[in-house]
Amino acid sequence: MTAPEGGGDAARDALSRSPRGVGAPLRRKEDARFLHGRGRYVGDIRPAGTLEVAFLRSPVAHARLLGVQKPANGLVFTAADLTEIAPIRANSALPGFRPSDQPALASGKLRHVGEPIAACVAASRAEAEDLAAACVLDYQALPAIADMLAARAPGSALIHEHWPDNAFLETRRDEDLADLDAIAAAKVRRRLRTARQSMAPLEGRGVLAEWDPRLEQLIVTTAAQMPHVTKTGLAECLGLDEGQVRVVAPDVGGGFGYKGILLPEELVCAALAMRLGRPVRWLEDRLEQLTANANCREHFYDVTAWADAKGKLLGVAVDATVDAGAYSAYPFSACLEAAQIGSIFPGPYVLPRFRFHTVSACTNKPPILPYRGVARTGVCYAMETTLDALARQLGISAQAIRAANLVPPTAMPYRNLVGKVFDSGDYPEALRRAVAAVDVAAVRARQAAGETVGFGLSVFCEQGAHGTSVYHGWGIPFVPGFEQAQARFTPDGVLELRVGLHSHGQGLETTLAQVAHEILGVDPARVRLVHGDTALTPYSTGTWGSRAMVMAGGAVAEACRLLGERALAIGAALLQAPVEGCSLRAGAIHHGEAQVTLDQVARTWFRSPQNLPANVDRGGLDVTAGYRPDPDTGTHSYAAHAVVARVDTETGNVTLEQYVIVEDGGVLVNPMIVDGQVLGGAAQGIGTALYEEMPFDTEAQPLAGTLADYLLPGATEVPDIRIEHMETPSPWTRFGQKGIGESGAIGPPGAIVNAINDALAPLGAEVLDLPATPARVLAALARAGRA
Amino acid sequence: MKITLTVNGAAATVQVEPRTHLADLLRGELLLTGTHLGCEHGVCGACTVEVDGAPARSCLMHAGACDGASVCTIEGFGEDAVMAALREGFSAEHALQCGYCTPGMLVVARDIVLRLPDADEARVREELAGNLCRCTGYRGIVRAILGVLAARRGAAT
Repeated sequence: MTAPEGGGDAARDALSRSPRGVGAPLRRKEDARFLHGRGRYVGDIRPAGTLEVAFLRSPVAHARLLGVQKPANGLVFTAADLTEIAPIRANSALPGFRPSDQPALASGKLRHVGEPIAACVAASRAEAEDLAAACVLDYQALPAIADMLAARAPGSALIHEHWPDNAFLETRRDEDLADLDAIAAAKVRRRLRTARQSMAPLEGRGVLAEWDPRLEQLIVTTAAQMPHVTKTGLAECLGLDEGQVRVVAPDVGGGFGYKGILLPEELVCAALAMRLGRPVRWLEDRLEQLTANANCREHFYDVTAWADAKGKLLGVAVDATVDAGAYSAYPFSACLEAAQIGSIFPGPYVLPRFRFHTVSACTNKPPILPYRGVARTGVCYAMETTLDALARQLGISAQAIRAANLVPPTAMPYRNLVGKVFDSGDYPEALRRAVAAVDVAAVRARQAAGETVGFGLSVFCEQGAHGTSVYHGWGIPFVPGFEQAQARFTPDGVLELRVGLHSHGQGLETTLAQVAHEILGVDPARVRLVHGDTALTPYSTGTWGSRAMVMAGGAVAEACRLLGERALAIGAALLQAPVEGCSLRAGAIHHGEAQVTLDQVARTWFRSPQNLPANVDRGGLDVTAGYRPDPDTGTHSYAAHAVVARVDTETGNVTLEQYVIVEDGGVLVNPMIVDGQVLGGAAQGIGTALYEEMPFDTEAQPLAGTLADYLLPGATEVPDIRIEHMETPSPWTRFGQKGIGESGAIGPPGAIVNAINDALAPLGAEVLDLPATPARVLAALARAGRA
Repeated sequence: MKITLTVNGAAATVQVEPRTHLADLLRGELLLTGTHLGCEHGVCGACTVEVDGAPARSCLMHAGACDGASVCTIEGFGEDAVMAALREGFSAEHALQCGYCTPGMLVVARDIVLRLPDADEARVREELAGNLCRCTGYRGIVRAILGVLAARRGAAT
């Protein structure tokens, strides 16, 4: 039997519209435990006899490590003591990529502040920190590479000395655009920078490693988004069979990409647990997180764009550098952001000609990780601010220049000039609605009256749930394939779902139960999701890339469909009716007026098999199914953000007066949860736009060590955001759903800075770099001679 | 040092080191892990508990300074009507995702509701300035608190 293809309007129209099914704003099943303080995070788990680890970390960004003098008493381990750990190596198959070996504990060289050097082990964290403080480091400082643009200067110190220069990878697409100067009505060039950030989930990382001598198995409980990938990485670096490693991710207190990585600390705790025969735990504190792991979003763009008199883009050239830090982190590699810039820079627009060059620069900073939106937040910022610069030069509106270039709905599915395929949607309509939701005329009237207030837009699309066909070419340590889910009934008729990806706040216990309800009619309250444990779940690359609802949603639907067929056969036997004459609806097998519930089917199969005929199907009530959309090039959700911002030209302070998001995530499985994802992402994007920055000094020392220095947006900084939904089904996914988890974080910097620059335009000032702090706004005014 | 304090209505006598903060005492010794640590320098508010009837950051208080104090953690509000209404409101307004900031948010939210019955949205947001949430964008949290305030005002008239 073949699976239903799903997707498109037909999938949407076939939905049950049950108040507990796909499309319902069902309250979350997981809320009760969190609201009573009964969530269980790594830091809440401490088996008897647990030893705590504090890491001695590098105080300098670049040095030759000459030795570590350990205290006379106490357990302190350096790289020389833990030779069983192979270095972390996250290669990419992209031509020219230079791999780096990241030692779990520094060996020979120190390459960024905060790099672990020694593990100090004691009965309590405080005592372990005392040990770390008693260690004496001997090192010879080397010139530090603090700036990505200086990384490749001639004569620069080399971070990996066998490389010819400090670059992991360069990518390029050559196209001569010189003729555009003669024919374009407008040409702008902008040099733009975005700051290095720390993703800052409220829960830090944490690892508890135990060795089970009976099973000869390592059990690593860790705050992870991708437990199976972590397991593979642990096995590879420790030389264990994968069956000897079990990774458990309990409740995870926010991830955003920060917990999608194989950690040096996981390897060290694992090795120590095996050596010491005791549980070993490390909990990251905020100082470690900020100083050792500010690891995302630092980009530089040099963009040139040409347009005709109506604002239609004639061509774009971009030279982009991403500060990738000192090592290639596992599994996404050091080049994931920079190498993507070429393919995502055209955004939602029809771009006829395009040249790019990107560099993944190696610097003496923490290894880069992909943060929610990955490279898109920076790309959207660069593209959207460049479009506004063109519009100002042409004297047309921000809406007009976007309308002139957005991919029209009639072109869907649309393949752009670098091969990205957009599945569905009406991008111009999202733009129209966003503009209509704001009283732009009122903003113009206030501007005419002399107020420094501005209106800003950004439009973007977000590829999500992209799979094998996209990732095999990257050649990074994993390639997502068929996502699998298990569906099975327990003897009392409870439906148990098992998936290999993991929730870190997305509410999968609820949304996957809604999917199961949609297919089988079971009560979501009687659906139990098992996830976050590699011993109990099928393999998955995990929760990243806005893929969970498309991939696990599709897999759960398929597993439930097949389980329903099994139940139908058993139910038909109990009803003494032919299978063809029976149907499954509302949680029961029906034949005419007669019915048996799925509970009865389960009880019979497990506990009263004597009531089944001898020739019953022997597959039982336990099904594993795989799912992958076809094509698997990814869904494209999209959004238009519209902002009204007021700028105080005395203080440089920016106030967000209005914030509107028009979002199309296809069919929404749970609109309440989607809103939560969009709002939370937008709050993080506001942080990127206005507040969050990890500055480094010229020696690559991080300068923000507390949350009083590294500013996260609070309730007074995030406005009451209005969301409007469009729901264009994806033609390629089970219910027409699209990946939506990262979208909110992509749009804010472009829209907000465009609003600021709209406000500052009468003064001749323009903000170029993120975040647009009061200091940068005042500097922009000073450059214009206005402050 | 040996201290005696009341935690969630029950007396506890414990031996603590001078450097131990209240949050570590609650989590480590008393196994009340609903109190979460986010920054350990008093900015994020995740560790907020009630000490002698007022919200306090348990990461900034030395356990030794709590001798004789009465502490209430997220596990200790029992059938408290305001907390029950807030829990209902938080779930209805999707005011939590990963759940890590939630206990501290609820303790502060209850204090806002009891102390500022006429608070408007701007005031609620100001009062929440000491509690960071990285998941929700705050809208659900603010709406949940405003909803409980409005219901109580309605019930009082």
